[in-house]
Amino acid sequence: MIELRNITKTYNKDGGVEVKVLQGINLTIGRGEFVSIMAPSGMGKSTMMNIIGCLDQPTGGEYLLDGIEVAGMNDDDLSSIRNKKIGFVFQSFNLLPRTTALENVELPLIYSPDDLDIKAKAKSALEAVGLGDRVGHQPSELSGGQQQRVAIARALVNDPTLILADEPTGNLDSASSQEVMAIFKKLHLDGRTVILVTHEPEVAAQADRIIRMKDGQVVSDERRAN
Amino acid sequence: MKTSRIIGLAMSGLARQKMRTFLMMLGIVIGVATLTVIISLTKGAQHKVMKGIKNFGANSVMASAGGGRMFGPPDGSTVTLTMADAEAMQASIKGIKHIAPFTMHVAQTVVAGSKNTEAAVFGVTPAFADAWQWFAEKGDFISDEDVSGLSKNCVLGQTVVRELFGDQDPIGETVRLNNTNFTVVGVLTKRGASPHGMDMDNRVLVPLSTAMRRLYNTTALGMIRLYVDDPDRLDEVTASVTAILRERHHIAPPQEDDFRVTNSMAMAGTIKGVSKTLTTFLLLLASISLVVGGLVIANIMLISVNERKKEIGIRRAFGAKARDIRQQFLGEALIVTLFGGIGGTLLGIAISLAIAGIKKMPAVLSWEPFVLAIVFSAAVGIVAGLQPARKAAGLDPVNAIKG
Repeated sequence: MIELRNITKTYNKDGGVEVKVLQGINLTIGRGEFVSIMAPSGMGKSTMMNIIGCLDQPTGGEYLLDGIEVAGMNDDDLSSIRNKKIGFVFQSFNLLPRTTALENVELPLIYSPDDLDIKAKAKSALEAVGLGDRVGHQPSELSGGQQQRVAIARALVNDPTLILADEPTGNLDSASSQEVMAIFKKLHLDGRTVILVTHEPEVAAQADRIIRMKDGQVVSDERRAN
Repeated sequence: MKTSRIIGLAMSGLARQKMRTFLMMLGIVIGVATLTVIISLTKGAQHKVMKGIKNFGANSVMASAGGGRMFGPPDGSTVTLTMADAEAMQASIKGIKHIAPFTMHVAQTVVAGSKNTEAAVFGVTPAFADAWQWFAEKGDFISDEDVSGLSKNCVLGQTVVRELFGDQDPIGETVRLNNTNFTVVGVLTKRGASPHGMDMDNRVLVPLSTAMRRLYNTTALGMIRLYVDDPDRLDEVTASVTAILRERHHIAPPQEDDFRVTNSMAMAGTIKGVSKTLTTFLLLLASISLVVGGLVIANIMLISVNERKKEIGIRRAFGAKARDIRQQFLGEALIVTLFGGIGGTLLGIAISLAIAGIKKMPAVLSWEPFVLAIVFSAAVGIVAGLQPARKAAGLDPVNAIKG
């Protein structure tokens, strides 16, 4: 489902210094896998996530998503792919303030070209994360764990093939973290591809496969037998 | 993205920042309200002036003694306009149906019993009634016998009647002018205001000969009014009158005329010209306030784009295209200006009616301010929103989402 071939990413810092963040990543992730990508901070983890999530383009290499070459696509096509195939979950939730849980979850549906019953779909996504009774609440009226569950509902609502979570438990207490991790596991059991980007070993350990990165390269790829 | 979705997004975006939205709207409301007031009141004023011009008479050409000025009563010190001039006009200009030479003296004291008032005294011939299409409502007009016999009969305008006699019938009563007693033989129909706003009903008509010899001891006329059978020939007759008077008064072009000739068309043109200049100036002012309103919107929106970077990044991450973001922000600007435009028009109508009520001026409400407001507001919205919307759409999603 995801094939990265010799992906590189280079940033030009001020003063013309080139920083190579990714230095030839080769990686294949199959449909329905539950994968953790681990890396120390500043080692290209976010860049990886942005490239896999089609928010950013690699400097070099090939990226096939569902067999489609993504590298070199234009902005509109990338937006469509993000809308249809990818659901993001962020460390800081990234919900819109002063906006109800329901309206937050509706967001991806608004940009869908399909004719959908937006309200009904958003409501059932919230019910799926156990927040059916919180549809009218604003983020400021919800706990951290609830906010992250709203964010997961938002990531799910367009029925994406890939859930991409960046330190999803980084801002949560341990009880909320477990709730959120349980939801990811359930999503995986439902057949979705889940990629967790994290630097916490305990979180990474809950996935079936752990990919470790260092200095912009994959240093280990470990599958755990279930 | 569907229009209804863009509107929904823009509306909820604005609803989240009510104070900011209100401030953005305010400039447009003020600009459009000013525009509406100006249009309503100018139209009202024009309406009034055109009514006055109608009172002047569409078929008429008028020559007045004294040159240089545009309006106003004849210059009393100019004594060059004479009966001989009137006779020359009648002899050489074709198509004159009526010709009425007359004198005019403003601000004369008229006394009846213990009451007195100030009015204009006109020395007239019977042709005056035909030339002005203005007849006696009660009693008789000045007759040929009155003129030939230097009679002391007079005809009153309705304002003079009201001032001196109230509801009483003035026919047969005596009024005193310049120490001479006159018998009232008739009352004129009500005429209203002249194009210059003068009350045309505040006047006393006496025989022309009586005015010239008994009252004011003059050989000069104040004005000559010509009633032309065909209104299309107004300009031609006006030119002929000018030519005759120049020739008879020995005036060569660089020299200034000692008379002026006008007709209803020229009068309407002059007044329209003046009010057009004034209207243009006021509209310019209103436009400036709209431009300022637009600048305020553009400014606030640029700040708003900076503050909402994260929102933009989030939307982009979940599939919003650059175009969707642009439309959302442009939609916000348009909604602000359109609502501001509608609000401004309503406010403007309310203010116009209030001013019209207080100043006793007519206000003409019409569809134009509404259409103008919508068009102007939409234009301001698009122009003001374009740059912020472009900036928002151009943000790189990866950086935007960091906030």
